[in-house]
Parts: sequence; structure tokens; C-alpha cells
Amino acid sequence: MRSRILRQSANRRSVIKAATGAAAGLYAWGIPGKSYQRALAQESVIQQILAIPGAGAQPTESDMQRVGELVLEPTKANVQPGEFQGQQLTFLGLNNGGVHNLVFRPLSEAWQEYTGAQIEWIDLPQNEVFARVQQSIVSDTIDFDVLEGGAPWEGDILGQGLASAMPDWVATQVDVADYVKLLQPPVGTWDGTTYRLSIDADAHNFNYRSDVFANQDLAAEWSAAGGAQEWGVPQTWQQVQAVTQFLSGKQLDGEDLYGILDECAPWGGFGWYFFASRASAYAKHPDNSAWLFNPADMTPYVNNPAFVRAAQDVIDALPFEPSDQVNADGNRTWQEQFLAGIGSMLHWWGDVGSNVYTNDVSVVQDKVMFSILPGSDDVYNNESGEWDTLPTGPNFAPNEAYIGWGLYVMNRSEASGVNKAAWSLAAHLGGKDLGTWTAVYPSGFQPYRTSSFNEDLWATTGLPAEFVASYLASQADSYNHPNGAIEPRIPGIFQYYVAAEIELARAYAGEITAQEALDAAAAAWEQITDDIGRDSQIGLYQAALG
Amino acid sequence: MQDTPALEISEPRVASAASPEWRAIFGRTLIRVTSLAVLALIVMQFLKTAGVTEMGFANWRPVAVALLAWSASLCLGMVLSRGQHGERAVFLLPAVLLTVAFVIFPTIYALFIAFNSWNLSAAAGRQFNGLDNYRQLLNDGGYWNAMKNMGYYVTAVLAQYVIAYLLAILLNQNIRGRKFFRVVFLLPFMLSPVAVSFMIGKSILNSQYGPIIPVLEALGFTNISFYEDPWLARLNIMMLDAWYSIPFMMVLLLAGLQAIPFEVLESAKIDGASSLQTFLHMIFPLMLPVSLTAIILRVIFELKLIDVVRVVTGGGPGSATDTISLFIYREGIQKTNVGYATALSQFYLLIIIIAITVVLWVANKWVEKVT
Repeated sequence: MRSRILRQSANRRSVIKAATGAAAGLYAWGIPGKSYQRALAQESVIQQILAIPGAGAQPTESDMQRVGELVLEPTKANVQPGEFQGQQLTFLGLNNGGVHNLVFRPLSEAWQEYTGAQIEWIDLPQNEVFARVQQSIVSDTIDFDVLEGGAPWEGDILGQGLASAMPDWVATQVDVADYVKLLQPPVGTWDGTTYRLSIDADAHNFNYRSDVFANQDLAAEWSAAGGAQEWGVPQTWQQVQAVTQFLSGKQLDGEDLYGILDECAPWGGFGWYFFASRASAYAKHPDNSAWLFNPADMTPYVNNPAFVRAAQDVIDALPFEPSDQVNADGNRTWQEQFLAGIGSMLHWWGDVGSNVYTNDVSVVQDKVMFSILPGSDDVYNNESGEWDTLPTGPNFAPNEAYIGWGLYVMNRSEASGVNKAAWSLAAHLGGKDLGTWTAVYPSGFQPYRTSSFNEDLWATTGLPAEFVASYLASQADSYNHPNGAIEPRIPGIFQYYVAAEIELARAYAGEITAQEALDAAAAAWEQITDDIGRDSQIGLYQAALG
Repeated sequence: MQDTPALEISEPRVASAASPEWRAIFGRTLIRVTSLAVLALIVMQFLKTAGVTEMGFANWRPVAVALLAWSASLCLGMVLSRGQHGERAVFLLPAVLLTVAFVIFPTIYALFIAFNSWNLSAAAGRQFNGLDNYRQLLNDGGYWNAMKNMGYYVTAVLAQYVIAYLLAILLNQNIRGRKFFRVVFLLPFMLSPVAVSFMIGKSILNSQYGPIIPVLEALGFTNISFYEDPWLARLNIMMLDAWYSIPFMMVLLLAGLQAIPFEVLESAKIDGASSLQTFLHMIFPLMLPVSLTAIILRVIFELKLIDVVRVVTGGGPGSATDTISLFIYREGIQKTNVGYATALSQFYLLIIIIAITVVLWVANKWVEKVT
């Protein structure tokens, strides 16, 4: 891998990067290059910003400042220049991998300059942000006006009446009707009132190495080894297991090949999602929207045969995965491994796709394609306690993991007289045009607007059309899947996830069996439900299922 | 000849000089009135928080400010009512109040919390649950696994002691560049454990891009991983911990070695004692109090171990490198199970107090016997 990075030869990405870099340089000297000249000549703001910096390059801080400046018009329609002079906002968000708050900062500079407001940023790592928010809630010391939070937290935040309702002018400015179906109410609402301004939609999709699955030598070896189906992209988790075992010990272009990359280390609750993606096709039956709890009494399903089978799959695959995979967290699997050329398959959020051509660590340009998560030949039926084989073929159940990041303006802003400024900032960062830009470039967010699924727009950045089509289809098909595995927006949901991922990590390390781990997780889930209040959890879970 | 004036010896200031009666009355009144006022505020806020009355502040912050004002008035009242005795008390009062505010009160409050079920997501809030947390603790395999790991980590302190002793002896010799090496050996101690853990544990020993991997691959190793095997992971954690902890012990031991009178060593030499005999029968016994201090301090630090483990392995693989502090962090911060996490902390504190007391008692007896 190291040698691969060092000997980066001229490929599509390096050529595009050099070209756009040169264009940017010329533009900076007052000699607009062709792509920039073309972009600026057009009227559409979205085309202008998508050209900054263009595929093949990671946006610099000045690029992001420029983008923030270009998308300021909607703010100007609702806010007078200097209207928030002297007002100070506090924004609590993430600082993961150089994105989230680190992208918001430069994007907000023009907004600050225009409105006169000042922003104080609170940066937190992903695995600590929810705990920090919850402590603020409980100790009645909410010290932020705008929160970058997840839909799963809405039970804790909106359920306690801590957020400010979205004003109509904000809903109009950001065009909430443009949100994808996954983000439409009830997501972002509580008792019929809208509180959330979306900046992201989340689902796990399946990222795979197209060069590996198109390789004829591997295909021949696969056939010779008695492969059950033709060599190609696995469609089910059963096939993923077989391919992972097959690829172990093989090489491509002098590099070791691996199959699936499992996330095994606890990650502040976020590690749960990777296991859930492994399990959803086994556990989410098309006839039953509930797959985590029995909605009648909140009895956990997490230790049923479907989840145990998924955990056993991971345990069985680990010997064929890269060394030390048992300690891999989510950051390692996508950045240090998949984008760096290690592993052939990865279940992750859409960030992988938006970083293949625009992240400096990526060496997999022209080698990655996408699909929804693999299915399963059979699916567990919680009602009958049997494994069902569906007449329609494998069961697919994309994991709508986390639903997506959003911005929540807290009630505190009303008391301190900065409510309009807070909503204006949120509307700026969650603006329609900016939503497509953050989906295309590394930002921590993936497409969350219907308008962002316009392939022609993506093509203007220089990304290969086939790549764009594959990526957007994997996202749209995940968001809109009729058997999507939705997670519940109930209080304390991350406590359940943390408890489960700790036990799963012990199973992956061989300390206990898959069944023992998930029995322990189920016991912990029962305890959490009792601690929080079983009756209220039952009501909220049923409401979340619709 | 000029007469030498008689030396005037001034009378020492009498500390018990009484303050005028009106000042004393004012001071006492000030203390009583402000004490009553702040007490009333606390009761009012407590009743509001408990939902008994409507009257009160939106949060406890104004009460905290009132407590600060009361502290100042207490100091002033003491000076006014008790004169120089009061002044003496004022020197101590800030420290006493801070200790009460930041040590005694939280400890007592934590004792109370430990008998409650307090899940931060629970709409019902805190609920008294008696000894349930302690019952749960006794059956919590994760907690006892972390306790077992603490046993391994504490045992490793003895190895650190031996290495630190050897280094201290080396640096106590009249070798060239002694001062330079003393500074160099101290450098790891000056670095942040988090930085050391990240630089060495996460970067250099990274199984995929760590710079040490090509070297090991060239030597014929394959599938290299420093944290996949539970014992190897523990060993690496111990080594990282030792890397920045040994200098601390070394400095203490070096100071002890330098304090040994030269004459004692010289007499041993004249009596024909070999270096080993001198060490075993003179230096080691004389150094026992310093050694015990160094070991006890390191054990206390070690019992709080969290930084290295959290950065490097997060307690993994599985729970192989977990520590009590990390376990409590997960319960209290990530699972927001405050009542149970507090009970875990209290129980751990109790074990530490008992263990250290016993160790000190045994060690003192041993030192007395040997010396």
C-alpha cells in the first residue's frame, strides 16, 4: 500500500488534479482557466460552486470560502447587511477527519461578514459528541445555539422540548420539499412541528472494487475453485463470505487482496451500524417493520438467530481480513484501508463515494463502484421464528444507518436574542445549492436532496459518468427501498448501540461466542429500557415505526 | 564616646488582640445574616428543584454566586469579629472552602448518587435504588475483567522499578555526559502520554502503515499486528506506559542515591565489601523508603490508567486491555449511566484505599525490620 502511494503514476485523478490546480492558479493570477471561465460565465450558482475545485482535487480553505460566498444570495433575501452585528452564536459540531466543522468554518465566513454575527465553534470527535450533548441537557447547561446532531437523537432533544421550531421563512429558503423521502416527516419533527434542518442523509451502501470483480484471472481461479456463481460483485452476504475466503492470500498488481472489511472496535455507538448492515438482510423481514425490538413490549430482537448469524459471519470472516482487523474502527476501514487500496468490499456511508476522486489519501480512482447492501438468500421471521425464503429472491434491507446529520437551533438562542441569526446560519449551511456541493466533495455529508441526484450536475465536476450513476443509484435505491431498515428515534438509542458494540467486540476477539455476546447485549438493552421507562419507550418505538 | 542607644526590642504583635466591640458585633452579624440568607437560597432552590414550590431560580448558578459572596462575607466577618485570630483564619479559609466545594461535597454527593439509578435519558430522572448498583457491580463481568487487567498493569510497575533503579544507578556513576543523559532520560516524562501513545502506539506500531512494519517484513515476519493478540496488546500497553513512567521513578531513585552519605559507602569499601555486597547490604536497605515511595506513587498513578489505552486500543481487542477508568468512562459518559458509574468509582476508591493502606502497613513493617 505504501509503495502504491509513493509511486502514484499519472492516472485520471492526477491529470484532473493537475489541470484544475493549474486552472485555479491561473485564475488566482487573474487569468481564468477554461473550466473556471466557463463556470463563471454561467448563471447557475450550483454549476459555479461545483467547479470549485473540480474532481481530482480536495477543496482548500480558500475554495470553501469562495463557495460560501457564492451561495450567500438566499441569505440576503431574508437578512439585511449587518443585521446580526454584535451577536455571537455558538455552534457545536464534529471535527472528524478534517470535515464537518472544519468545512463549516470557511463556508460560514462570508455569512459572518455579511450579517455581522460571530460564531464560536465547539469541535468534538464523533464518538464523544452525543455524550457531551446529553450531559448539557441533563445538567441544564446547554451552551450552544446551533447543534449538528443526528436524527436518532431526536428522542432526547426534541422529546424534551429543547429545540426551536423552524420558522416558515427558513423552510422556504432551504426548500424542505426538496429533501429525499427518507428525510421527510416524521424525521425532524416532533408532535407535528418541524425542528430539523437537514444537511445530510445517511444509509450504508456497498462499496466494491470494480477492478477486482472484473478481473479475468480471478474469475478463472474462482471457477476452478468451484465458485457457486459466476465471478462478479456479490449480491448476498453469503456470497460476500465466500468471496472473502477466496480472495485471502491472492494478489492483484502485486498487492495483497482482501474481501470484506469489517469494523470490529467499539466506536461510541457508531460501531453498531456496521454490524446492523451485516444483519439487516437477515433480520429485517419485508412483512415486519420492526427488526430491533418487539414493538409490543420492547423485548430486544438483538439475540435472535438473525443477529447471531450476522455476528458469526464477522467472526468467520475475520481470519481472512487484514491483520489487526479486530481493532479496526470505522475511520480505519474507509480511510486507512479502502481508500488506500486495501480490501475489496466495504459497507459504509456514502462518504466513500464522495472521497474516491476528491480525497488526497485515495488511490482507488477508476476502481470503485457501488450498490445497495447485499441481501440474503433467506430472512428470519420474528413472528414464526423460522427462516423464510422469499419467492421474489434474496431479501434486501438497506440499513438507513443514522438517517443523517441535521442542524438543530436550540431554545437557548431565543432567550439570548440570537434565534434569527442561528436559523439564518443553519439555512446558509443547509442551503439548496450547497447541499449538492457538500455531497460531491469531502464534507462528512452525502446527498440529501432530490435536486442533488442530477447526474448532469455531477458531470460538470469532471467525475466519470459511470461512477456518478453507480454512486447516486446506490444512494437513491438505499433511501427509497421499500424494505429499508429504519432505526428508531427513541431516547437513549445510542446507549443501546454502545452496549451492543462492546459485547460484539468481545465476540470478535474470541472472548465469548456470538450468542453469548448478543444475549449479554439483549440483557443490557432490557436494563436500558427499564432505566429509561419501558412504557414511554414502547410508545415512542411504535410511533417511530409508523 | 557617644552613648550607644539601648536596643529597642519591639513587642511581638499579639495575635489575640481584640477588635473593638462594635466591629466584633458587626462581623458576627454579617456572618449570621449572610449564612442565613445563603441557607435560605439553598433551601428555596432545593424545594424548587424537587418540585415542591414554584419560587426559585432557573438553575443553580445564582446560588453558586451567592455561595461565593457568602465566602467573602465570612472572611470579612471573621476579621471584624475576631481580629488577628480572624486574620489567621482568613489565610486558611479559601483553601478550606475550596476543599469543601471541590473535594468533600462532590465526594459526599457521589456517595449519594451511587445509591441511585440515574440514566440521563430517563424521563423520570434520578431514582433511589438502594444497593442495586452494588449488586449489579458484583455480577458485572466487564468490571472484574478490567480489575484483572489492572492487576497485570500494577504488577508491571515492579518491572518499571527494576529498570528505573538500574538507570538511576547508571546515572549516579561518574560517567562522561552524565548531565546530558539525565536530561535525555527525563524527556519521555516531559511528553504528554496521549502524544506518546499516538506517535508510538498508533503511528509507529500501526499494522498497516507503521514505519516499523517494512523493517519487520524485511526480517521475514508476515501478518504483523501489535494489538491483535490479547497478551501482545497488553504487553505493548505496558511498554508504552513504562516508556514515559520509568523516568519518574528514575528521578526519585536517583535523588535517593545521591542522598546516601559518601562516608557510608566509603566505609563499606574500606571493609572490603564488593559492589554487589555494598548494594545488597547498604544501598538497597538505605533506599527502601525512597523505593517504596516511588512504587506506591507509581501504583497510584497506574490504578488511574486510561490515556494510553484509550488512544491505542480503546480497551481492545475485545476487552483485553480494558482498565477500570476506561470502563467507568464508558458507563458514565458513553452509556450515560451516571448512578452505576458512580457506584463503580466509589467501589474502586474503596478497594484502592484498603489496598494501599495494607501495602503501606506491610511495607513499613518490612522496612523497620530490614533497617
